[in-house]
Amino acid sequence: MPTSSADEAGRPMPHLLVDGLSAGYGGAPIVHEASARAGLGEIVTIVGPNGAGKSTFLKAVAGMIPALAGKVRLAGEDVTNMRANHLARRGLGYVPQVNDVFDTLTVADNLAMGGYLLKRNEIGERTEKVMEVFPALKRMLNRTASKLSGGERKMLAMARVLMLEPSLLVLDEPTSNLSADLSRVVLEEHVSRLGESGAAVLIVEQKAQAALAISDWAYVMAGGVIRISSAAGDLLARKDLAEVFLGRSTGDGEVPKAS
Amino acid sequence: MSQLVPAIGFGLITASILAIAAVGFTLQFSVTNILNLAYGDVMTASAFAAYIANHAGVDIWLSLLMAALFGAVFSMLLNRFVYFQFVRRGTRLFGMIIVTIAMSLIIQNVLLAVFRPTFFSYEVSASASYTFAGMILTGSQLAIMGIAVVAMVSVHLLSTRTRLGKAMRATATNPGLARSCGVATDRVIDVAWLLSGALCGIAGVVLVLNTATFSEVTGANFLVPIIAAAVLGGIGQPYGAMLGAVTIGLASEVAASVINPSYKDVVAFAILIVVLLVRPQGILSEVASGKEVAA
Repeated sequence: MPTSSADEAGRPMPHLLVDGLSAGYGGAPIVHEASARAGLGEIVTIVGPNGAGKSTFLKAVAGMIPALAGKVRLAGEDVTNMRANHLARRGLGYVPQVNDVFDTLTVADNLAMGGYLLKRNEIGERTEKVMEVFPALKRMLNRTASKLSGGERKMLAMARVLMLEPSLLVLDEPTSNLSADLSRVVLEEHVSRLGESGAAVLIVEQKAQAALAISDWAYVMAGGVIRISSAAGDLLARKDLAEVFLGRSTGDGEVPKAS
Repeated sequence: MSQLVPAIGFGLITASILAIAAVGFTLQFSVTNILNLAYGDVMTASAFAAYIANHAGVDIWLSLLMAALFGAVFSMLLNRFVYFQFVRRGTRLFGMIIVTIAMSLIIQNVLLAVFRPTFFSYEVSASASYTFAGMILTGSQLAIMGIAVVAMVSVHLLSTRTRLGKAMRATATNPGLARSCGVATDRVIDVAWLLSGALCGIAGVVLVLNTATFSEVTGANFLVPIIAAAVLGGIGQPYGAMLGAVTIGLASEVAASVINPSYKDVVAFAILIVVLLVRPQGILSEVASGKEVAA
C-alpha cells in the first residue's frame, strides 16, 4: 500500500492536477492510473528506477502522447489530450530529455521559437530578460544549436522554455548527460529559481538525491504506478527506500543528504 | 572549346529549372517528412494546367502563375486526402515512398487518359535572342533564369526573415518541440505543401518552356536529376539544393557538349556518387540529426 506523509494538506492549491492517468505508446499502457499534483511555487519531483514510466507520464501531461485514461487539469481547466501547441498557450512549458533544442537553428532563433506566441516586439525584450538568467548565452547567439556542448544545450533548452514565462514547467531529466557539477548548477540555481519565481515545476530526475534536495514534494514511481507520495525531505530521510528507488548504490548521488 | 561557352549557357538554364524544382522537392521533404516521388508528375499536371490556360488564350506568363497556384493547391490536397491518410494510420518513411510511387503512376495515367499520348507545346510569342559573352539565349530562357533567381531569393527571405519561415524550419528539425513552443504544426505543414507545390508548378512550366514539347512523362523523366540535385546538396537543405542544381545543371550540359549528349545523366550521377562517397550526408547537410526518420 502506498505510504504518504501526513502533511499533504499543507501543500499549495494544485495548479496541475493529474488524476488516474494511464498512458503508453500505442500498445499496452506503461503508466497505470497515476495521480500527482503541483501547486504554484512548488517543485515536485518524480523519482524511480529506469523504465518506471516517469518520462511517459510527463509526455502525457505535456500533450506529446495521448492519455489513455484519466484527467489532467491545468489551472482548473480540463486539458486532457489537448495538443501541445494549445497547452503552450495555457502556460505549460515542456523540456524533453532529448531533442530539447532546434538543432539546425541558431541560438537566437531557438529563443525566438520559444517566444513564438509572443508579439514581435515582445520577443526582443523577453530574450534580454532570459539572457539575464543565462548570461553565457549572450556570447553564442549566432551559433547553430547543434554545435553547442551538452551543458550549453541544456541551458538553451531551459532559456527557450522560459521565453513564454510558463506557469507550469515540465522538465524531463534536466541533468541527463551533464557532469555532476553542472547538474548541481542546473538543479540548485536554475530549477530552484523557477520554483521561487512562482511557477509550478514538475521534474523527472535520475539524480534523485540532488533533485529531492531542491524539491518540496516527491513521488516515487515504479512499474508505471505511483508508489509513494511524500514531502521531499521525508523521502530523503527514509533509509529503507534508498537502495530500491533512489539508486544510491549506483553512485549517481553526489550531493550530500539535505536532512 | 568553342562549344564550351554555349554549353555553360545551357547549363545555367538547366540549373535554373533544376534549382526551382529541387528546392521545392527538398522543402517538401524536410518539413513534411514525405519523400514525394510523385513530384515530377505534379510538375507535369501543372504544365498541363498552364497548357489549358495558354490554349484558352491566356498569356504564357500568366499561365505560369496559374500553374503555380494549381501545383500549390494540388499538392496540398494530395497530402490531405491521400498521404496524410496513410501517415495518420502509422505508415512510415519507406511505406510512404511506395504510396508516392503509386500516386505517380495514377497521375501519369490519368493525364494520359485525359490528354492522349501525344506531344504538346505552349504558344509563346517569338522573342529575340540575346548574346552574352558567346552564350546565345532566348528571351524565354532569360526569363527562366530570372524566375529562378526571384524564387531562390524569396525562399531565402521567407525562411530566414519571417516567423513562418522559422516555424517551418523548426517543424522540419523537431516537430514535437515546435508544437510545445505553440506552433500549430499541422498548419505549417499545409503551408509547406502549398509553397513547395507552387515551386513544383513553376518548375513544370519552365521545364516545358525550355524543352518546347511535353507529354505525360516529362516531369517524371526529370525527377531523377531533381533528386540528384537535392541529395547532392544534402537532402532537406534548400541552399544545398540550389548548389546541387548548379553543379548538376552545369556538369551535365558541359558533358553533353564535350563528350556526348547521351552521357548527360551519366555524368550527373558520376558526380553524385563521388560526392556522396566523400560526404555521405551531402554538401551542406546537418538536417535530420534530431529528426525521427524511421522506417
